[in-house]
Amino acid sequence: MRRLFALAAIVAVALAAFALLRGPAPQQGPVVLAASSMQDALNDAADAWAAQRSPRPVLSFAGTPALARQIEQGSPADIFISADEAWMNELARKGLIDVRSRADIAGNALVIVAAADSPANLPAMDRASLGAALCGGRLALADPDGVPAGRYARQALITADQWGWIRRQLAPTANVRAALALVIAKEAPLGVVYASDASAAKGRVRIVHTFPAGGHAPIRYPAALLNRSQNADARDFLQFLRSGAGQAILRRHGFTTP
Amino acid sequence: MIDIDIEVRRAERRIALSLAAEGGLTALFGPSGAGKTSLLDAVAGLVTPERGHIAIGDAVLFDSASGINLPPEQRGCGYVFQESRLFPHLTVAGNLMFGTNRADQGYRWLEPAEAIEFLGISHLLDRRPATLSGGEAQRVAIGRALLSNPRILLLDEPLSFLDASRRNEVMQVIERIRDELALPILYVTHDRVEVERLADRVVDIA
Amino acid sequence: MIAGLTSGEWAVIGLSVKVGAVAVIGAMPLAFALAWILSRKRFPGKVLLDALVHLPLVVPPVVTGWLLLLTFGANGPVGRWLAEWFGISLVFRWTGAALAAAVMALPLMVRAIRLSFDSVDRRLEGAARTLGAGRWRTFAQITLPLALPGVAAGAVLGLARSIGEFGATITFVSNIPGETRTIPLAIYTALQSPDGGASVTRLAIASVLLSLAALLVSEWLVRKGAGR
Repeated sequence: MRRLFALAAIVAVALAAFALLRGPAPQQGPVVLAASSMQDALNDAADAWAAQRSPRPVLSFAGTPALARQIEQGSPADIFISADEAWMNELARKGLIDVRSRADIAGNALVIVAAADSPANLPAMDRASLGAALCGGRLALADPDGVPAGRYARQALITADQWGWIRRQLAPTANVRAALALVIAKEAPLGVVYASDASAAKGRVRIVHTFPAGGHAPIRYPAALLNRSQNADARDFLQFLRSGAGQAILRRHGFTTP
Repeated sequence: MIDIDIEVRRAERRIALSLAAEGGLTALFGPSGAGKTSLLDAVAGLVTPERGHIAIGDAVLFDSASGINLPPEQRGCGYVFQESRLFPHLTVAGNLMFGTNRADQGYRWLEPAEAIEFLGISHLLDRRPATLSGGEAQRVAIGRALLSNPRILLLDEPLSFLDASRRNEVMQVIERIRDELALPILYVTHDRVEVERLADRVVDIA
Repeated sequence: MIAGLTSGEWAVIGLSVKVGAVAVIGAMPLAFALAWILSRKRFPGKVLLDALVHLPLVVPPVVTGWLLLLTFGANGPVGRWLAEWFGISLVFRWTGAALAAAVMALPLMVRAIRLSFDSVDRRLEGAARTLGAGRWRTFAQITLPLALPGVAAGAVLGLARSIGEFGATITFVSNIPGETRTIPLAIYTALQSPDGGASVTRLAIASVLLSLAALLVSEWLVRKGAGR
């Protein structure tokens, strides 16, 4: 038993040494941490950019706060794309981003969706219509206590004067894509998601209401280089996203110009 | 009274026993590892013989020809194991009384008070088995088996884990059972001395 | 530190304990039966049953939560049946959180209880049979009392696991304050806001203390059983 253990230890050390001593790894693409609502759009953009030059960016999607915390803890990424201003400001305050590189790359609209084959309709934004459409079920949305998509949703519902009663009939999820999934699975009759998410799920959900842009803080996606980035291609990818070609891809996925 | 004719399979070997007796203490004698314990297990119903016939008195416990195979709880075999197997979560008193509610049989050899006196264990009643010496544990085990009103007493090398002085004390108990109660006994051992002192007859198990 | 918890945080802890307790009590009969079968019975497909029982341990919790949603959700086969026949709805309710926790805790409970059954000396059961006790009496008076410390240890372990359950819970019943927001979900929520750090620390400490207490009790019970 001990000999087996010793052998395993030797093999592990040898592998580690081999990995460390092998020399510089082949150049990998810039590491991008982006809000989950950007998933499909950024994948397309990364493919388009990589078609002209390699290597392809490494994309990692999650709820904005989770990504921000990872960056605070030293995650070795090159670019951060946030779903709201607050988290980008937070990182700027901590000196973690290159402020000169910061700019908004997209905007978005907030919508309510229902499953494509559901009969639900919202003739008006009032309690009677919402209550009828929900029919005892819950309104799915990203968690208003944290995730940007949830905060926008809460603002919009407050403006529409529905928050007071509907706050007790919510199904808050970890991120906006999970809320979308609940609607597609028909566990929630309605969900509040981004227009870009509705576009990504075209055919499986349909939009029953678009919140007026004035009812919530403007939805902006600031993107910036991280100060610790050492990747020469990162700046280039960021510029691609702001270029005509990049913007066209984003618009195709339901985002608006910033 | 005892009519046993069985063949038991243990690992790759077959062990046979053929015995007809009218009571008293029958020793099953043979070297260690010969499979003698398997024979007692078969009589008690813990193991099923390949073929054969077991009858004690007028009760047929096992008969492969007619498909009779009584479960252990219906056989009335008081079994004293090598390592006593007292229930660790019960007191000595709890162990002794465990088998006493067996309804049938007029095989009431001793009242509990008599048995406790007989075995000299009255000072141990509230103790837990873990606190007993080897000799005390075996005496309690014998008492437990006796109080379950058995047709037959099975003893599997009961002295092998005891030292010399304890051996003597337990042998005396067994002699008293053999002499004062008309309870047939099957006694497994590899020790010549025990055989010579206790046995009414010997069966060699090779 | 204890005094430092807000009333909202106490509510979260209370909900966690409630969900955990219900999960363990609900899972216990099944865990007990499975542990018995796996310990004592031999049958074709036993290895498969063992693997199935251990599945929640190795499958990503989010996957387990999603499967629960598909099965017990309002549109799922079992969920629909429960709603029609009993008026029971699990999704988005604390009972659903308890179900998720129970599913995740079940493998641990089965393991612990099975180990305790395995450790009961079969020869003692044989001795009881020769003394006239049938199968049921032997189980009730010999096997069960001797296995009890291990069963209790399994329950406590299951409780600790239930209190810590996150991935399956948030996927199946989402994160509803007062209904499904157990300690791990509350910590996750607090992490989402820049100044939630203090709350995270308080809840994390509470969670660690609860789990530690459960583990210590479980260990003590196992040792008490082994000491026999």
